[in-house]
Amino acid sequence: MTMKRFTLSAAAIAFALASGAALAQAKDKVVLLLNWYTYSEHAPFYLGKERGYFDQEGIDLDIQEGRGSGVTVQAVAAGTATFGYADVPTMIKAASKGAPVTAVGVALQTSPMSVMGFADKNIRKPEDIKGKTVAVTPGDSMSQIWPLFLKKTNLKDTDFKTVAGDAQTKLNAVTNNQADLLLGYVMDQAIKLQDATQKQVYPIRFADYGVNMVSSGIIAQKDFLKQKPDVAKRFMRAATRSLEEAAKNPEAAVDAMLKAQPKSGVKDTALVGMKQTAALYKGPDNPNDRPFRVGAKNMDETMTLLVDYGGLDKATAGKASDYYTNDYLP
Amino acid sequence: MKRAWWQRLLLSAWMRPILLIVILLVLWDLAIRLFRIPPYLIPAPEAVVKQLYLEWPKLWRESLITTYATLGGFALSIAFGIPMALMIAYSRTVESFVYPLLVFSQSVPKIAIAPLFVVWFGFGIIPKVICAFMLGFFPIVVSTVMGFKSVEPDMIDLARSMKASRLATFLRISLPQALPSIFAGLKVSVTLAVVGAVVGEFVGSNSGIGYLLQIANGNFDLPLMFAALTVLSGIGVLLFVAVDVVERLMIPWHASQRNDFTATA
Repeated sequence: MTMKRFTLSAAAIAFALASGAALAQAKDKVVLLLNWYTYSEHAPFYLGKERGYFDQEGIDLDIQEGRGSGVTVQAVAAGTATFGYADVPTMIKAASKGAPVTAVGVALQTSPMSVMGFADKNIRKPEDIKGKTVAVTPGDSMSQIWPLFLKKTNLKDTDFKTVAGDAQTKLNAVTNNQADLLLGYVMDQAIKLQDATQKQVYPIRFADYGVNMVSSGIIAQKDFLKQKPDVAKRFMRAATRSLEEAAKNPEAAVDAMLKAQPKSGVKDTALVGMKQTAALYKGPDNPNDRPFRVGAKNMDETMTLLVDYGGLDKATAGKASDYYTNDYLP
Repeated sequence: MKRAWWQRLLLSAWMRPILLIVILLVLWDLAIRLFRIPPYLIPAPEAVVKQLYLEWPKLWRESLITTYATLGGFALSIAFGIPMALMIAYSRTVESFVYPLLVFSQSVPKIAIAPLFVVWFGFGIIPKVICAFMLGFFPIVVSTVMGFKSVEPDMIDLARSMKASRLATFLRISLPQALPSIFAGLKVSVTLAVVGAVVGEFVGSNSGIGYLLQIANGNFDLPLMFAALTVLSGIGVLLFVAVDVVERLMIPWHASQRNDFTATA
């Protein structure tokens, strides 16, 4: 099959030399819908696009910014976007309610969830949270796993004050001292806080206290995978290369992102974010695998957490293997 | 010709909207079955009704909180809107200074600045009330200004020629003539105030229907989300009806109120 592909693409290239338009015709148009507005976590895809990794696989990639993982999952399920970059636990919840989607690769296999505040407040251990105010977004994945973190660290929700608001309000609350801490991702909110205030942020990572759960990954519609398995394989090959290259060369990744989306961040802090993102590419149970290839144990643990804490209905949950596949990875 | 009791029931004024709702529910259900719309995109009406029943205590509790914020914002809208409208209507100077600015402020999308309300006023009921106020007060100002400006000048001249004091002219002539427009504004305002309160809750709050909507959204609980939206619309309708009742009591003489009952017979 690869031989056939090779001769096919060789023929295409020969033909393209004669007429330039033909090559573009032969490429598969693919829309990757991100989970949020672009930030450092997404830099690898811009790097892959700039370096032509997707072009070389015959894929014409269009990266679109998203408005939350939930919306991204719904768009992919409805066929509006070919692939989505979204929170895998969020996808599992949607899939358990009937959305025909599955994860074809898990990018962040160690949880980036953390509770963070400015470093000068000296909140570095879970005990330091006592008596402080924590900003959360009700209903999001972090607020659902938060009780487990509290349990693992022997904290009660009466030990601190909670304020609730949307994503922007959380940042505002900490910036303006209405809250001491917020629940956020180490490479997302921590960077945004630093960019806004020029102050150091100290995140207490959930993963360091025994709370691990996979995070962002690539999702696709099940029918699409059945009909065009070959496009999915080529896309994931290019995506894997992109992540590997971004981990090796974070600066190039951030440059590519800022070139494509100049408003998506500030170079220095985006570089920190990219490095922190790359540190999450490996899970606890598969240190030697290539990016996107997730371990079964890691996924099982994620499922258990989702059923126990994440609002996933045990009756309709099914098994972890219903929600992901490594079949399309190189 | 005398109609049967069930015909009269079906055609009575309060039955008509209910009938339309039932028809819409049936169409909704049919659309879902015919086009096989999956439940993660649009829930089936029966799932929504079931959630409405199961989660009723919670929905009731949260809707009270949203209602308080709405009423707070509505009261503020009246307290600020009507005096401001009076000043605009009676003074060209105030009008030329304030009115353009008012229109300008109204074009600012509230959702964009709502996160700042939380920064300025903290968490709790105040940012919600302010959001409700921001959305609610503009229609009151516009229609009150219109009401006072369209008072017939002949009537005022007549009152003056009869040596009525300014206060008496205002109370006997201007205000009664402006009331229908004012109430039109109040009705629009109260429904918008509900939206404002929920926007406030979305942005930063530990309670209320907006908070519930956020949680339902996070869990892909679309039936609960639609149930919350139904309750929310219910609040809007009830408050609208309440303003309508007050209107009937205050201006029973007005044309818009007179034929209401006979029209449907």
